[in-house]
Amino acid sequence: MKQSSVQSGAGTAGIKNLFGLYAKECKKVICSLTFLLYTAAIFAMYYTQFHSELSGAETEPKPGFASYGMTEREVPEILMPRALDQLMLEYLQNSYTAYPIGFYKEVHLVEKKRQKMADIICELTGQTRAELNNQEDENDGFEEDGAFRFEVGGEDGIWASDDNSFVVGGDRNPVEKESSHLEYSLSETITYERFRELMREADKLIGGGSRYSDKYIVFNFSQVPKTYEEALEEYRQLVDEDKITGGYARLYCDYVGFMLGVLPVFVAVSLMQLDRKARMEQLVYSRRISSAKLIFSRYAALVTAMFLPIIITAAMAQAKVIGFYPDAKMDIFAFARYTVLWMLPTLMAVSAVGMLLTELASGLIAILLQGAWWFTGMFSSALTGDIGKFNLTIRHNSLYKLDTFQEQYGDFLFNRAFYTVLAILLAALTAIIYEQKRRGRNFGLYTLVKNHKSKSAA
Amino acid sequence: MDSTLWLKIIKVNLRHNFLPHLLAALAIAVCTPVVFEVSSLNGTLAAQPLEMLLSLTGAILLTPIFLPEQDENIRDLIRSKHTNYLAVCALRVAYSVLLLAVLLGGFTLLMRACESAVTVEHFTGALASALFLGALGLLGAGISGNVTVGYMVAMIYYIANFTLKEKLGNFYLFSMSNGAGEGKVFLLAAALLVIAAAFEWKKIRES
Repeated sequence: MKQSSVQSGAGTAGIKNLFGLYAKECKKVICSLTFLLYTAAIFAMYYTQFHSELSGAETEPKPGFASYGMTEREVPEILMPRALDQLMLEYLQNSYTAYPIGFYKEVHLVEKKRQKMADIICELTGQTRAELNNQEDENDGFEEDGAFRFEVGGEDGIWASDDNSFVVGGDRNPVEKESSHLEYSLSETITYERFRELMREADKLIGGGSRYSDKYIVFNFSQVPKTYEEALEEYRQLVDEDKITGGYARLYCDYVGFMLGVLPVFVAVSLMQLDRKARMEQLVYSRRISSAKLIFSRYAALVTAMFLPIIITAAMAQAKVIGFYPDAKMDIFAFARYTVLWMLPTLMAVSAVGMLLTELASGLIAILLQGAWWFTGMFSSALTGDIGKFNLTIRHNSLYKLDTFQEQYGDFLFNRAFYTVLAILLAALTAIIYEQKRRGRNFGLYTLVKNHKSKSAA
Repeated sequence: MDSTLWLKIIKVNLRHNFLPHLLAALAIAVCTPVVFEVSSLNGTLAAQPLEMLLSLTGAILLTPIFLPEQDENIRDLIRSKHTNYLAVCALRVAYSVLLLAVLLGGFTLLMRACESAVTVEHFTGALASALFLGALGLLGAGISGNVTVGYMVAMIYYIANFTLKEKLGNFYLFSMSNGAGEGKVFLLAAALLVIAAAFEWKKIRES
């Protein structure tokens, strides 16, 4: 009895110690300049992108308007001839536009691949190779820098839209402008399924990210005017299914999540370097507390502290949305739900990467690698409908398109679970490395950088 | 002061302080053609790789100017030396800017060889953007005494250029990629002012 009460007392003291350590680490994070900058950036992002962009409640569309905007709709009769025209033009120029990681690339195919592309076009048009070659000869002087290039920064170009989007936009339905002098048509025998298969093959030959990829083909070649019924349905979805706040919460997560893909790494690097900077490294190494407890307390402090500005801005966003729709029935947990599910795994993963790479190598390497991951991930995914299983930063740059989001909800959950588990594993790995260093064992990149620094100091 | 001493200082700094950052900047330059097309581009498209990716090399090369003295042991040692500390830092800025210009110039020439429509304005414009980003990082690192803060300041400003775009006015780093580019002189002047402010801050702190 006495023994169990002693054990219970030791357990309580252990928890108290752990909580005390966590509180100390929280204080260190919150008092750091990097955290203040992080918080300022999150608030600035919220104000400039979300708060100031929303001017009022969405209104129900009324019948009889001249236009309700454009929408992507997969209409084979529209998509197939437009995509074929574009492919034919690019083939004749041997210059294919692609956005492999969100930025413009012009791809020129080598002869072997060009022959394969010719086979695809022949199947699409029903032409023989001789007929296609004739077309090629007739169009030999075709101006390469024609009207078909995607312009970055132009009105229809990539990441130049009014909604502050950054990824691929493009010259919607670009082929209507100039292809009348070419004599070919879509083969009557080709099915839509086969057409899409051939487009995938064409995209593969180009190297991915082309206009013919699954990701961009509908956007590029099947933009159609939105009907009143569609506009109304979209609005109803926001009000009835999304309970208004759902749509706004996704938009909030899209904007603020943009920052979360990279900024936490600076706070994590700064915290991990603090001991070294304050010459406390050896003192901390000699303490009795286990490395796992120390690292996980630090990690928990980083994540919880950095989640605070997210919670605050999400609450502000929710209050703003509620103000727009005072009498509407809303989902009051939507912001909380999306914030935790969407943002927390990103924050956890980036923080863990920052801690691990700082321990393993150096702060500069952590920042560089995380920056590269953020840059390539951010610009390689489309603004909506491209959640994917492994995209670190999820994008859904629309108040609407709930159905698109729901279609990928399985991927969304998998993605978030994956990054949560990965983050915990990376934090555990950091603890192992930290423990090795406490025991005086250095390895890998750390040794390399440390040796370099020692020489530098000397 | 003896020129051999300055040469020695440059040599030691290049070898022990500058090399990792130069390698990081070179890594970005090497990766740029993987991310962006560099051949047969018109003027606007040709500005993209220079402004949007290579401008980051400015932050990488200029932000760590005060890094060696972030370690208090080294700072104490430097203070005990007769050589003017800020003059050493100015020397670091000089060779960093020189190598930044060489890097950007080399890349511009590469693009020209690849038949992209790059001009001297592309080079100077990219240099102005890179210098401004680097100057912000330098100021952040100088004021805080923490190079991570410097990198963070530069990164936040870089991200702001994707979200605020033309709202940044003459401070917009990617103006040439948007078909403009008139504000580059302003950006260059601002970069020099920010570098001067960082040195002034250090001077006050050291005195």
